[in-house]
Amino acid sequence: MKGNFLQKNRLRQPHTRRILILLGIFLAGSILFNIFDSIVVSVVSPIWRAENSVSRSLRNIADFIGSQEKLIKENADLREKVSSLEIEVMSLSREQALEDTLRELAGRKPDPETKIATVLTHPPQTPYDIIIIDAGSSDGVLVGKEVYLPEGPSLGAISEVFSNRSRVKLFTSSGEETNAVLERNNVPVVLHGLGAGNFRLTLPRDTAVEPGDKILSPELSSRLMAVVGEVIIQPTDSFKEVLAKSPANIFILRYVFVTP
Amino acid sequence: MTLRALGIAIVLLAILVMPYWVYVPVLLISIFVFPFFWEAILFGFLIDVIYGSGIDGFSSFISPFAFSALISLIILLPVRKRLRAHV
Repeated sequence: MKGNFLQKNRLRQPHTRRILILLGIFLAGSILFNIFDSIVVSVVSPIWRAENSVSRSLRNIADFIGSQEKLIKENADLREKVSSLEIEVMSLSREQALEDTLRELAGRKPDPETKIATVLTHPPQTPYDIIIIDAGSSDGVLVGKEVYLPEGPSLGAISEVFSNRSRVKLFTSSGEETNAVLERNNVPVVLHGLGAGNFRLTLPRDTAVEPGDKILSPELSSRLMAVVGEVIIQPTDSFKEVLAKSPANIFILRYVFVTP
Repeated sequence: MTLRALGIAIVLLAILVMPYWVYVPVLLISIFVFPFFWEAILFGFLIDVIYGSGIDGFSSFISPFAFSALISLIILLPVRKRLRAHV
């Protein structure tokens, strides 16, 4: 009589125990990380702050050591400033003055309680188009509030709020759909986020659109949301695909404004 | 054991200060290099908790990175010994 049945059964499923352990860790992690997510973010935030300041200090030391590098930095700073001014100029609509007057007449002046926040982490450190800012519920930040650049362009909306931090989902996040207006013809469009600061939208074939056209947010105080980069049109299609990009470089964000 | 602790420290540091195209491959390599690297599931949760998960619907009940790590680990269990001599 053979007595090796138990051994055979063991060999058939040699990894069951380990798979169960992994599933247990996964379930425990799901529960624990959901409960303590705000604590984890609070613990990690000082590291991001330290990282930002350390990288800035290292850059300053390197600039001090080499004058050539200092010139390079100065050049980079000036480029950044030029880019910032370009964004500001772009975001100034032709009818900005008229809109301001209309807003004042309608008693809807820009809110002075706009909050400024430092960007703790941004793409590419975050795998999706998400940024984390250092303003939270204690600063009056609420889910759904708009986040925009100091120069004017709209970036995204608050998706999660912790006590001193908030998570902002950018309009360019993959799968995100945002209503907007194509400035050229005042055509309402839906921007589909593609990630990495890019959008895609579809327009009827006859709608005029060219690279460089501005896409604005639909509300009264319209903000620049995207700039048309490329128009793709097939001879057989009745629609054309438009690729647009965010006017802001989401990879170098430092400060943002949050609407109260 | 020391090597594993070093690996954990490197993955953690990469997640906190490096771009995603660094820490995601580092995490994947760790799963391959270290035997039964269950810590990868926790790192997956950490990534999703601190950076947020961008896949709506799916991520509302499951953490995408942790789930990917779990699947990779389960697939690697039977395959590992046939692939290479591990650390």
